[in-house]
Amino acid sequence: MIKENLYAISALFDTPDSIMKAADNISTEYKRFDVNTPYPVHGMDDAMKLTPSRIGYFTISIGLFCMSFMLYFMYWSNSVDYPQVIGGKPFFAFPAYVPIMFEITILTGAVLSVAMMISVLFKFPNNAHPLHDSGYMKAVSSDKYGIYVEAKDSNFDYSKLEKQFKELGASSVSPIYYDEEEVDWKPNTWDPKFVIGTIGIAILTSFSVYMHMNKVLFMVPFDWMMNQERADYGETSEFFADGYSMRVAPVGTIARGFIPYQYDSPDSASKYMTNPTVASEHNLELGQRKFLTYCSPCHGNMAEGASRLKGNMPPGPDLRTEFYQNFTDGRFYHTITKGKGIMAGYESQITREERWAIINYIRTLQKAFGTPVVKTEEEIAENSETKTEASE
Amino acid sequence: MGASITVEYVKKALPSGLIKWSSIGLIVGLALVIFSATMDMQRLAFSSLLGYMFVMSIAMGALFFIALDHITGSIWSTPFRRIAEILTNAIWLAPIMAAPILYNIFLEMGGHGMFDMYHWTHDAVVAADPFLSQKAPYLNESSFIFRTVLIWVLMIIFKFILVGNSYKQDKTFNHKTNKVNAAFSAIFMAVFAVSITLTAIDFMMSLEPHWFSTIFGIYYFAGTFACIVAMITLIAVNFNEKGLMIEGINKDHYYSLGGWMFAFTTFWMYIAFSQFMLIWYANIPEETFWYMPRMEGTWAYLSIALIFIKFLVPFGLSIQRPSKTNPKRLKLVAMWIIGAHIYDIWWVSYPTYSHLKETHSPFFGWQELGFVLFAISAVFFVFAIAAKNKNIVPIGDAKMERAINFHL
Amino acid sequence: MHTETKDYDNDLRIARPIVEGKRTLKQIDDAIIAPLDRLPNIKFWIAISFTLTLLMVGAIALGLSFYYGTGLWGNNNPVGWALPIVNFVFWVGIGHAGTLISAILFLLRQRWRNGIARFAEAMTIFAVITALIFPIIHTGRPWVAAVYLLPYPNQHSLWVNFTSPLLWDVFAVSTYFTVSFVFWYVGLIPDFAVLRDRATGKIKKLLYSVFSLGWRFSNRHWKHYEMMYLILAGMATPLVLSVHTIVSFDFAVSILPGWHTTIFPPYFVAGAIFSGFAMVQNSLVIIRKIFDMEDLIPISTLELMNKIILLTGMMVGYAYTMEFFIAWYSGNQPETFAFVNRAFGPYAWAYWIMFSCNVFIPQLFWFKKVRRNLFLMFIIAVFVNVGMWFERFVITVTSLSRDFLPSSWAYYTPTITDFAILIGSFGLFFTLVLIFVRVLPAIAIAEIKAVTEQGQPSHTHLHIGNGKSNEAH
Repeated sequence: MIKENLYAISALFDTPDSIMKAADNISTEYKRFDVNTPYPVHGMDDAMKLTPSRIGYFTISIGLFCMSFMLYFMYWSNSVDYPQVIGGKPFFAFPAYVPIMFEITILTGAVLSVAMMISVLFKFPNNAHPLHDSGYMKAVSSDKYGIYVEAKDSNFDYSKLEKQFKELGASSVSPIYYDEEEVDWKPNTWDPKFVIGTIGIAILTSFSVYMHMNKVLFMVPFDWMMNQERADYGETSEFFADGYSMRVAPVGTIARGFIPYQYDSPDSASKYMTNPTVASEHNLELGQRKFLTYCSPCHGNMAEGASRLKGNMPPGPDLRTEFYQNFTDGRFYHTITKGKGIMAGYESQITREERWAIINYIRTLQKAFGTPVVKTEEEIAENSETKTEASE
Repeated sequence: MGASITVEYVKKALPSGLIKWSSIGLIVGLALVIFSATMDMQRLAFSSLLGYMFVMSIAMGALFFIALDHITGSIWSTPFRRIAEILTNAIWLAPIMAAPILYNIFLEMGGHGMFDMYHWTHDAVVAADPFLSQKAPYLNESSFIFRTVLIWVLMIIFKFILVGNSYKQDKTFNHKTNKVNAAFSAIFMAVFAVSITLTAIDFMMSLEPHWFSTIFGIYYFAGTFACIVAMITLIAVNFNEKGLMIEGINKDHYYSLGGWMFAFTTFWMYIAFSQFMLIWYANIPEETFWYMPRMEGTWAYLSIALIFIKFLVPFGLSIQRPSKTNPKRLKLVAMWIIGAHIYDIWWVSYPTYSHLKETHSPFFGWQELGFVLFAISAVFFVFAIAAKNKNIVPIGDAKMERAINFHL
Repeated sequence: MHTETKDYDNDLRIARPIVEGKRTLKQIDDAIIAPLDRLPNIKFWIAISFTLTLLMVGAIALGLSFYYGTGLWGNNNPVGWALPIVNFVFWVGIGHAGTLISAILFLLRQRWRNGIARFAEAMTIFAVITALIFPIIHTGRPWVAAVYLLPYPNQHSLWVNFTSPLLWDVFAVSTYFTVSFVFWYVGLIPDFAVLRDRATGKIKKLLYSVFSLGWRFSNRHWKHYEMMYLILAGMATPLVLSVHTIVSFDFAVSILPGWHTTIFPPYFVAGAIFSGFAMVQNSLVIIRKIFDMEDLIPISTLELMNKIILLTGMMVGYAYTMEFFIAWYSGNQPETFAFVNRAFGPYAWAYWIMFSCNVFIPQLFWFKKVRRNLFLMFIIAVFVNVGMWFERFVITVTSLSRDFLPSSWAYYTPTITDFAILIGSFGLFFTLVLIFVRVLPAIAIAEIKAVTEQGQPSHTHLHIGNGKSNEAH
């Protein structure tokens, strides 16, 4: 039984020099051996014939990878997903990203390397190793220098090794055994302790998150943002004599962004209003878009008075005629706003800026096609088709 | 660990190639310099700026290296200190390098400058410019010359104290000398900080007299220290391969030299980035105008190249541990850093020349190459002459025995 | 063998041993772990009750601030950034000395740092914790601070502003904290294993086993461990520079006279190390007294620290001078005004406290007698801390209190709550330090053992045995 449970044979040495010699000696013959010293002894890697650690390559690659990711993320969030001009900087403000790129390189390089070292290279945490709790371990953690050869080594021979260690000047040689538990123990997911523990942690976490999100944040003082000292609608006011918290707006108040239309006849509109916009490319594009949406069904795509409504409504007049060329912008504006005859007012659908843009667009059409001669219906249809294609 | 000196050192003859090649370089460089002087004095003055700033880097940097060795009591650097001590002789070259600039400034005092280099030297311009007239108490011809000469004198005084004591120690083996030198080194540090800052401000920053940056002295210092360590490394590694250094120089010494080059390469990038970032971010015209010409046209590519030349290449070449102990790699990195330092000086000063020529394109031709060749060969030549009768390691130093047993 | 008569200070031929006196490895264990095993002495109880009192003062002030709001503080237009950022910069700066000792001096092979490295790292962590409190309470509603500060996906596609130095601060300080903590913990793993193998109580043993992760002192592990330690030191070095650089960017990227100056990054770093060393020195002087560690933290270590204080003090002095000179040289009127106002304006008292504490008083360290006198060095380091706190105060407050429009000028006075929070921060810091020394080994056991006189094999074996041996260590 003892034979089966033997893990290794160990030897303790008193000085760094002797352990170096022992390691040098043992490493020529055995593969599954290790040296345990209370602190790193210089030159031990060579004595044990170990290759130098290459952990640095991992650090630099993971650091640079995460740095590139962070750079991409900053580019994406600040110039693609939600571009904003801040402090007059370009969307992709590279010099301003350098500090965070640097920090991320260090953060990920350091933390992930340590995590990798501990979990992959060391296979930690591991408190179940046969060495733990042995006298050997207690000696090497304090002031002795130890070496052991595992029983699994192909050249393992207890008595031969014992002799060899003694010759190398070991102060003591001893076997190390597996604990019974260590040999028999198998990880079991359904171990009741583990299951209960997991459930316990889950309940505790859920409970505390619930308490935090639903209770704590609604307690004083965390709820002060919600419960501010303000008057709510429908609440009785102690301040105003009439007891209403909700007040009537003073006469003449208008809502932000809404300027009421103040002309009641086309003539006054024509007389007092001038077009405040400039027929820029952008403005005309807006006008075209809105004209095609709202005006073209009756007035035709080119304002030629060709209705698409197939007689369900009377077609609108041709706006390119001299009569309409003489219309002032104000008169057009009034018509669009309030409607005329069968045409409805578009006050609620078309904004002020868009109305002026439409007028600019109509003027452009008028300039482009001039006063039309009377055409046959085929000609009109052909004309509008080709022009529509062109405008597309 | 006895009281007597147990360091064994035999003085050997310097490699013959050193004096041969440095004198050839000196002659060729001098010929080019004289030729360029006959053609265009203005360009000569600008190219001499490269030579002057480089030589000052070597001279002042070497003194700084010596002072650092004494103050910190560090032992790895002691075997190399003598190389730095011999390199301080470069200070004798400073007047030669600065001659074209100082001569012109001297002429400007009478108002008859041969050419245009420092804007603030023209009295009429200064009188019309409120900023320049405000600075006139500092930026004027006589005080410029006074400061420059004062810095040379100070450096020479400290050279005689620190280096002279060390030479004497070779014979006396007196350990008290270390204490004396350490005390003087502490005083030197303060002198050095002011001197290097004023050198950088006077010769390089005042090329654009409206521009100002508080970090500028440190910017030049970062390059300087990388340059001097590179110079020492280059000489030390070559000498050690030829057996001129003392027995016992091992990989840990090399590692320290490589480590310092690596550290100051990175430090330079840190300083350069800080300066650029703060000016770029604040975006004030009175500061950004210095960077604008460097970010346009060909200069934009040269500015990006500066990041590679001065930082990324030497950084990449020496980031691995083994590369810091590999003599071949060390020599390559050292030469690269010296070149990069001169490129940096060129990048700082030459846009002004382009500006004076009313063009955006950079100037780098045989005139500049000639002067740089002249300056580098002169440094090596002076080194070879001075090293002839000197030990290459400070054998009398109290730390020597520990120094050659140095292990990380 | 060395005898006590060796004159390490005057004889450069011999190296000073890191651990003075001859101890066996076992005795080192015993000496370092002793404070953990015995009940604390009366000095400890006096000290901790004092620091806890300070902490309570701060806690009450903070509680009141949370309840009544930040109106209790003196911050108001135009000085919106006042004591909270001053304290933040101050405490982050304190932390820097710890990293300097643990990482930079490690890279420079300054072996005397081994005795104080663990303690200095712990100080870094505690200082950063203390510092972090200030920006977080300054957000007004600290319980949702993470939502403002971290980029997290949300339905509004709102991302943090990556071009803002304040956000860089979030990344820098949190990275600094994390990496310092990891560095510290990695150093602690072997020491936890030592404690585990010495522990007698069952709970103690369980705890130490968990924290030691099952460390076995295997040389196959030491190989990676040493490399990792070197890499961490190599990464912490630029990190410590970057953190205070970014803190300085908070000020320097703005276009406020007195803030926008390019020397700020290295100047802040030098100042941080300066004040940090003063604080480490102060704490060490107290700790070695309370825990009777006079022989483990020898006076020569403190003397070296005083030299570094002197050096960094002169660097800070260089920066003050440079700022003044360039302010004049630039010919920029607001800039010149800002600096003249600093030195001779309403806050001249603060400026001259700063200048004398940081530049003049440390000059006393030129004298060896002063450098080695416990009482004097303690007093000087206190002055340095005061001076460095005032430096941040001067930078922040003088520039802000003189706005561009003279009609907006105002004189800022901190309130009693401000001061109480500052006092509380000291209480928090020193309480954590005292508890740390009680529960964890304040000196890195493995590091100290590695540098004892007989700790390493003679080098002859190493070099003759294998030519490539140097690559490995």
